[in-house]
Amino acid sequence: MSIDVQHLAKLARLRIEDDQLAKFEKDMESIVAMVEQLPDVSGDASGLDPEHPMKLRADVESTVKMQRSELLANAPKMQAGCVVVPKTVE
Amino acid sequence: MELYEYSAHELSEMLKAKKCSSEELTKSVLDRAKATDDKVGAYLTICEDKALEKARAVDEKRKSEDLHPLAGIPIGIKDNISTKGILTTCASKMLYNYVPPFDAFVMNKVNAADMVITGKLNMDEFAMGSSTENSHFKKTHNPHNLDCVPGGSSGGSAAAVAAGSAVISLGSDTGGSIRMPASYCGVVGLKPTYGAVSRYGLVAFASSLDQIGPFGRNVTDTAMLFGTICGHDNMDATSADREYPDFSSLLNADVKGLKIGIPAEYFGEGVDNSVKEAVMNAVKELEKNGAEIVNISLPSTKYALNAYYIISSAEASSNLARFDGVKYGYRAENYTDLIDMYEKTRSEGFGDEVKRRIMLGTFVLSSGFFDAYYKKAKLVALDIIKEFNAAFEKCDVIATPATPGTAFRLGENIGDPTKMYAADICTVTVNIAGLPAISVPCGMLNNMPVGLQFIGKKFSEQTLLNSAYAVEKLFGEAKPANV
Repeated sequence: MSIDVQHLAKLARLRIEDDQLAKFEKDMESIVAMVEQLPDVSGDASGLDPEHPMKLRADVESTVKMQRSELLANAPKMQAGCVVVPKTVE
Repeated sequence: MELYEYSAHELSEMLKAKKCSSEELTKSVLDRAKATDDKVGAYLTICEDKALEKARAVDEKRKSEDLHPLAGIPIGIKDNISTKGILTTCASKMLYNYVPPFDAFVMNKVNAADMVITGKLNMDEFAMGSSTENSHFKKTHNPHNLDCVPGGSSGGSAAAVAAGSAVISLGSDTGGSIRMPASYCGVVGLKPTYGAVSRYGLVAFASSLDQIGPFGRNVTDTAMLFGTICGHDNMDATSADREYPDFSSLLNADVKGLKIGIPAEYFGEGVDNSVKEAVMNAVKELEKNGAEIVNISLPSTKYALNAYYIISSAEASSNLARFDGVKYGYRAENYTDLIDMYEKTRSEGFGDEVKRRIMLGTFVLSSGFFDAYYKKAKLVALDIIKEFNAAFEKCDVIATPATPGTAFRLGENIGDPTKMYAADICTVTVNIAGLPAISVPCGMLNNMPVGLQFIGKKFSEQTLLNSAYAVEKLFGEAKPANV
């Protein structure tokens, strides 16, 4: 199957440069050719595990406390206590 | 004998009896890391000052308090486990400067036990790979033969323990990323039952498959570390709420009456004959000691690798959407608008294998392909679970090779992603079914270690550890490799 790598890249917010396109196409085609070998199965795939149910947490206020400055310390660009990104509205 | 050569359980006794201090031990391990790591390349970050400071504090605390058995023992941590105040890069340019403001659940456990963190260990970028060659920063070499890979993705965790530059370590396993490097490096690696160890603070790759687990040079150390990090955590909705025994004190190498299932599918095409023989020789020794061999069948194994790469990549494409250059990590330098910033950041920040997995995940989830790929893969997963359940009606544990061969050479599989993926053939079913499994050394082939994998029912880690302990009695405990 031929794979439209540029379309997938666009959906995934990636960019594949022209000089790399042929290699990615070849790789993706061989990977898809491998993984598509699956049996004809049908049914409900909701995969529950009744013997080991998940325990949902109670809906209570979180006690985790962190400083704003700690959380912002990793931001690539910051101004006046806010994360800076390019303008999104005209 | 240098202090770094001892195992954690021996050191625990020595520290308690004041035959050595944690500071001396930590120095010995850090010196070993300095002497070997330019060849092995296990570490991305070495925390020398913090480690020595912690070791001195533990020595001081020991004067007046009874401490955890692993207190003062140096431990290395895979670089996808969040460590407060210590770089956590996932071996990716995307997180080259990321310092977490919080500790993972397992790090809270490690710190509460007063272990000494030596540093952060190399891995395949975002845990995607089987050789640790996908790290953005450096290659890790197998301590048993520096021309060979250590396996992946927890290659640094296995190599550090094998080289003696850590006494024990933590890794993560999504499709074999603990068991495979443990097998290649000749150490013990346990992938716990899904839900036994909290994933809080583990940078997510495939959330339904990821699990943190321990490495050690022997089963006792591995059991001690597992017993320390397991347990319920409200911060992980998939965390199991149950009590765990003291695994290491209950270790028992008596295999009398143990039913060992042998699945024909794991001893077929694609697995080296010499590896099959080594594993079966070990199993036959256990039979002589009273174990019973039962032939079983897991026919859906032939689809497991395909289902695994579909499911894990689908989850990865979603999980890795968070890396956009906004709140943390790498951001491209030049961009025209927000979308341009996202695309350039992600294209420059991710390596090729991560891009392939994100695009595969995007493909299998995209409209028109979902039923043929993702849904089918989930149905295959259900078949795999049913077949394991049926097999465990007949046996207590399943024995297989941990890897289809011994460690391959650096560069050998790098040009062909599907060839690299095939290295996971013996391990992926376990993650799909949420089961626990352990890799334990069962001899050497051409001077390279071979790993035997035991797979168990959910939460049967004690049975797995006991089975591995019986194998260890036959082949001996690993010692730091000559590097």
